[in-house]
Amino acid sequence: MLIKFWSFLQGLLPRRGVVGHVYHGVLNAPVNFFQWFMERWDKMDLFDETHVEKAKTNPFYAIGGMWYWVWMLVIASGVLLMIYYVPDTSQAFVSIERMQANWKWGEIPIGALIRGIHKYGADAFIILATLKVYRMWFTGGYKNGHELSFIVALLLLIIGMYSGLTGYLLIWNQRALWATKVMATFPGYLDQNPSWIPGGDFINWTNQGKTTAQILLGGTSIGPATVTRFYAFHFMLSFLVMIFFELRVYHRGFKRMNISRWTKFILFMMLAGMAVLIPAAQGSPANPEVTPNPILSDWYFLAMYHMLKLQDPYLATVLTVGVPALVLLSLFMDRRPETGFKERAIANWIGIGGLIYFIVFSFLIINSIADLHRDAPLWYYSMGLFLLIGYFQDWGYVMKRDGKQWWETFHVFFVAFLLVSMSANTLFHYFGDIREWNVAAAAELPKVLAAHPGFTQDQALDFLEKTKPTLNLWLTPAATLAKGMPKGMELWKLHVALWLIIPAVGTVVGLFRWGAKRDALLDAAAAKAKAKTAGA
Amino acid sequence: MQETTRRTLLKALTSLPIVGGAVALQHVILRYFKPTMAGGLKAMAADPDSAGSSEQEIADVSELTQPWEFKEFIYIRKSVEYSSRKFQGAKIPAFIVRLPEEYIADKKDPKAAYVVVQRICPHLGCTFNFIPNSEELAGGYNYKAPAPFHPYFACPCHLSVYDPTRPQVIAGTVAGKAFDKLPGKVVSGPAPRPPRTMSFDIRGSKIYITDTEGGGVG
Repeated sequence: MLIKFWSFLQGLLPRRGVVGHVYHGVLNAPVNFFQWFMERWDKMDLFDETHVEKAKTNPFYAIGGMWYWVWMLVIASGVLLMIYYVPDTSQAFVSIERMQANWKWGEIPIGALIRGIHKYGADAFIILATLKVYRMWFTGGYKNGHELSFIVALLLLIIGMYSGLTGYLLIWNQRALWATKVMATFPGYLDQNPSWIPGGDFINWTNQGKTTAQILLGGTSIGPATVTRFYAFHFMLSFLVMIFFELRVYHRGFKRMNISRWTKFILFMMLAGMAVLIPAAQGSPANPEVTPNPILSDWYFLAMYHMLKLQDPYLATVLTVGVPALVLLSLFMDRRPETGFKERAIANWIGIGGLIYFIVFSFLIINSIADLHRDAPLWYYSMGLFLLIGYFQDWGYVMKRDGKQWWETFHVFFVAFLLVSMSANTLFHYFGDIREWNVAAAAELPKVLAAHPGFTQDQALDFLEKTKPTLNLWLTPAATLAKGMPKGMELWKLHVALWLIIPAVGTVVGLFRWGAKRDALLDAAAAKAKAKTAGA
Repeated sequence: MQETTRRTLLKALTSLPIVGGAVALQHVILRYFKPTMAGGLKAMAADPDSAGSSEQEIADVSELTQPWEFKEFIYIRKSVEYSSRKFQGAKIPAFIVRLPEEYIADKKDPKAAYVVVQRICPHLGCTFNFIPNSEELAGGYNYKAPAPFHPYFACPCHLSVYDPTRPQVIAGTVAGKAFDKLPGKVVSGPAPRPPRTMSFDIRGSKIYITDTEGGGVG
């Protein structure tokens, strides 16, 4: 019965054109997704256990094995730390101080050594996880049915970062307290969607952000409940992944770690050596009344911390959730089978760009360098440049590969969208300051600049805003603007309109081309089948 | 081809109830993580900030007589805790600042001479500072204040700067109350609104905090 109904639905619309392909795509989505997922599930690779042979000659394929070994060391040392650690706000810091006091034969023998292995092991974990994600990115390791391996690697990296965050709150020091505060205030912005987003008000009404913060903290403030909760999460996540991986290895008969005993020994000695030479730092005890300046988080959050300075917090929250989602989406946008380094210019430039931003942003925040009024558009602009350079290299490659003319492989909408995004963003940032279009203020501005030679325009406007409240600068109403809007304003609006129109038209055109392409494929398959039967 | 498609279809269809069951189970597990078990289901509706905090004396008028004299204090806000203790006190650091004469909007109102704000930055929850000199503000907080200089509030985490002398209109209500103006206009940095408020009262020579705005991680 069910099958009959399904066949009826299948026959309802022919499999032709955009509409037909979309209809059949949606209809077959559950079946296709199930097949797709099971294929990937079989091929899934967590810690390079499927690359045993490759790892013998190429060290980049031994990263997974090293990662899992470090993971084991971190779990083992963590379990040992649990013996002396007291998960309570009043005793946590002291209990670790006691452990750290003497690494030799002091109050707690080799306490500092074990804590050092745990701490540096966690750092090594993040480094190795990042290296594995990058290796898969640069070698196209997610292609040809390995998408799930990449997704899992990225998820494990995120789990690792979350374990790092929950882990360093357990020390109960200043750095941890303030990083946790920032992390717990973050989700609140998920309840502040603007009304023009479809369903925005509904999402706000459900209070997801506030609930998330409460689940993370075990209440509304960071206190004893937070510490026990973080203690549980910290242990739980690593342990669950380990159980899953061990079961998979057992069932499928994989080699657990694709590295030799010597590699394991050297890794262990490196961590132990670090723990002895540079005892793990502890900082000063948490104090909710004093924010240290500059405040820094663990090294892998630094770049993100700098990003928060440059953006509206709602946008920054959406981006923080959205960047991993975008990375996952990009896997499915890259449908070509090529895995060679020179054949994937865009992907390479995205990867290199990400690395550059990570390093530069970390450097900037450590040295406390930021000019909020100047920097943001530079970063947006450079992102567009990375993409454009990558695109044009790729364009040249495809032209040569397929022996086509330049216009046949040129993605006009993509390039136009990038160019307009870059200029619209900059125009908005530098000329979108609504105060500059206040006609009454424009007459006053030259006088202020003449009277105070050191002022920038921004400062002059601030000055006017304060000294002449009648100008109503900080809330310029539409009526003031309507008197006479300069041409630059229209230019800015035109850009925003283009910014929306170009991808819309591009999507429609792309859909029709996609439909035609699918039709051609089906026709070719049908012709081939016909020739076969005729031949028989 | 048809046969395999059918088999896969049936497989996919049988997996639907399994996925549904997993989602239902996941809800129960997630519900376990949500700390709201004090009064059973009824307490789920209770806002943690609704515990109702007592009045607390924070300063004497004689401590704040000169322009820009300020005092840091900690207000204990009660919030519902979902444990046997029922309530927990969250420490809210705050500032009370005495404004100089030229910035007092209503000279007859004794309360207009003071700015009282929670020090929890409305951006991402760090505790912001009172910055009385312009070099520190320009160097440490990336804000070159216009002359003549007066002190600002500034947050070290993401460089939001608030001007205690200027109010800012924000849209909508704060904790059910409509505000036309909140003290501490955002003049620089990413903060979306002025600092969270505290209502206060002056009785005799003592200043009391009567209520605080909710939200913010204490």
